[in-house]
Amino acid sequence: MNKIIEVANLTKKYKGKTAVDALSFSVFEGEILGLLGPNGSGKSTTINCILSLLSIDEGKITIFGQEMKPSAYEIKKEIGVVFQDVAVFDELTVIDNIRYFCGLYIKDKKVREVYIEEAIQLVGLEEFKKYYPKQLSGGLLRRLNIACGISHKPKLIFFDEPTVAVDPQSRNNILDGMKTLNKNGATIIYTTHYMEEVEFLCHRVIILDKGKIIESGTIDELKSLSNIEEKISVEVNNLKKSIISDIAKWEQVESVDYENGILIVTYQKGKNNLAGLIHYFKENRIEYNKIFSERPTLNDVFLELTGKGLRD
Amino acid sequence: MTVFKTFLKVLNKNKFIVILYSVILLFFGVSNMQTQEENTNFISSKPDVLLVVSDELEGITKHFVDYMEKHTNRKEIEESVRDDALFYRDVNYIIFINDHFREDFLSGEQPNIEVKSTGDYQASLAELLVNNYLKVASVYQKMGFTEEEIMQNIDKTLEKQVVMEVTSPLDTDQLEKVAFYYNFLSYSMLAGCVYIICLMLVSFQNEKIRKRTIISSMSDRKYNRILLLSNGLFALLLWLCYVVLSFILLGEGMFSRQGFLMLINSFLFTICCLTLAFLLGTLIRSKNTINGIVNVVALGSSFLCGAFVPMEWLPNFVLKIAHLLPSYWYIKTNELLKTMEIINIESLKPIFYPMGILCFFSVFFVILTNYISSKRRNIG
Ligand SMILES: Nc1ncnc2c1ncn2[C@@H]1O[C@H](COP(=O)(O)OP(=O)(O)OP(=O)(O)O)[C@@H](O)[C@H]1O
Ligand SMILES: [Mg+2]
Repeated sequence: MNKIIEVANLTKKYKGKTAVDALSFSVFEGEILGLLGPNGSGKSTTINCILSLLSIDEGKITIFGQEMKPSAYEIKKEIGVVFQDVAVFDELTVIDNIRYFCGLYIKDKKVREVYIEEAIQLVGLEEFKKYYPKQLSGGLLRRLNIACGISHKPKLIFFDEPTVAVDPQSRNNILDGMKTLNKNGATIIYTTHYMEEVEFLCHRVIILDKGKIIESGTIDELKSLSNIEEKISVEVNNLKKSIISDIAKWEQVESVDYENGILIVTYQKGKNNLAGLIHYFKENRIEYNKIFSERPTLNDVFLELTGKGLRD
Repeated sequence: MTVFKTFLKVLNKNKFIVILYSVILLFFGVSNMQTQEENTNFISSKPDVLLVVSDELEGITKHFVDYMEKHTNRKEIEESVRDDALFYRDVNYIIFINDHFREDFLSGEQPNIEVKSTGDYQASLAELLVNNYLKVASVYQKMGFTEEEIMQNIDKTLEKQVVMEVTSPLDTDQLEKVAFYYNFLSYSMLAGCVYIICLMLVSFQNEKIRKRTIISSMSDRKYNRILLLSNGLFALLLWLCYVVLSFILLGEGMFSRQGFLMLINSFLFTICCLTLAFLLGTLIRSKNTINGIVNVVALGSSFLCGAFVPMEWLPNFVLKIAHLLPSYWYIKTNELLKTMEIINIESLKPIFYPMGILCFFSVFFVILTNYISSKRRNIG
């Protein structure tokens, strides 16, 4: 596969404080790469460095085989960015906003108008073309923000947390849009701290923490890193402490958690864990509502790797 | 082109505020004109002169009379009411040319002329004309020219002088109106420029939009240049509109030299507004503050500097503070021009000073803006 981006040894400091620490990774043509990390882990900083919007302290960035610089206009033409914060003109309508950002790239008017229409369709803003940003809800505003970033059909697109604080309908629309863009040939770099989105969308994931890569790989690769093989959740009321400590002593069990009437038991390896647990409850005459077993999610992997949740 | 077109769209969305400031100017300009017309004290541009000629109307005598006729309004008044005419200012100046004027002159003697004068400004203009003529004539006579040659030389010499010294008609009433309009313009211009340019800069220099724009194939430099040019164009067009408006409203008064100089002055002021607006636009971050800034800057400085009320009415300490504001120097120039009778290099010297200060302000604002924005960029 072709390397679209190569980041080598990237370091960025804000007034001496290191935000990104000797980062090295590649992005391959046609993939959706997830940059996953908690708040302040350096995701936005990494993207801004790759785009030459921030000066870098060390390292080298290569895009499409050429070195990225503030003046590398040939490279910039092929890039689209959807920033974390909405950046549109309050005085312009939805369509005029897209027209402005598209016009910065596409000089041919006919082509431009076609592209603008396509972008509007992609994010589903057909009914809101003549609206001003102030009249749009948060979710629609985000969709406008995306349309502005991708209307010129870039080969490489950066999405910086496009779904933060967005209603479920807009979120689905945005995720579908990203999939469509990828299907149409765009390579996508996507930062988020929503695990489910990464699992749904990304081919490959890089997990950042405190400016460093702590793990990377496909989702399956990451999951196999975990010691956890199975996770069983039980809805059960008034469980005694003695029972919890009892279960924790079992050989295969990695951890036991009991909170808000839900018991979560994770197992390292082994089979028939579920049957064993049901049997134990029966023996001790414990009433439970629901019980189910699942494979660990990325969130569990992440917890194990960093010792903290992503939404802290 | 994309940036410029968007600039126009944003401008279009905000045109009403500019129109509002212009309507205020129009309204006050017109209302002022009507109040002024009630107490007109019309002073004609040329002095009214009565010539009483006892000599034959020949040679140098005829030449002198023709010369005076050309540069004054010659009046015919009966002998019995001459003194009354002077008193009521039907004439400003009476010249008696006695019966041996030509003879005396050609023989090299001081020709005998008697005058009666109202002693006012118009009379002094007439006196200036007479003295000039006689002085120049006697110089050529002493050089030994013939009468014919003397007359030709006088024509050559005085023609130039008349153009230079005897001013284009000073119509104080008209100029009063022009000055009022242009003084008031300082408010509309400052408010319009500050409002629109601040708005544009806050929109276009917004960190996020700027980021988005410079990751396209447009360079930071080009982006800044387009913004500068667009804003400059806006200020220039606004100025042109106000100038055209002044010609429509004031007509005649604008075709005087004083009017023309006020026009030049207003151009310098426009540049100053533009640079000040850039400075303010660089300082502020939010659109909500723009209205406040416009009120403080435009309204405040217009009041302090006498755009609405005459400078003479303002207390001294206010004028002292006003020295720190560009509007003061702009209005001061207009006030000086309004009463300026004679326009030549010498008489214009006092207005070069305030005009220079206006230019100095512009340069100062540009330097300050550059300094601040370069500081900003270093932080980012
Ligand atoms: N302009 C700045 N000046 C100083 N420090 C900064 C600046 N921008 C970011 N930082 C710091 O750098 C670190 C990385 O920030 P960054 O915005 O890249 O994180 P992030 O992963 O994008 O977080 P989030 O999920 O909140 O967007 C943080 O500790 C942040 O406080
Ligand atoms: Mg971020």
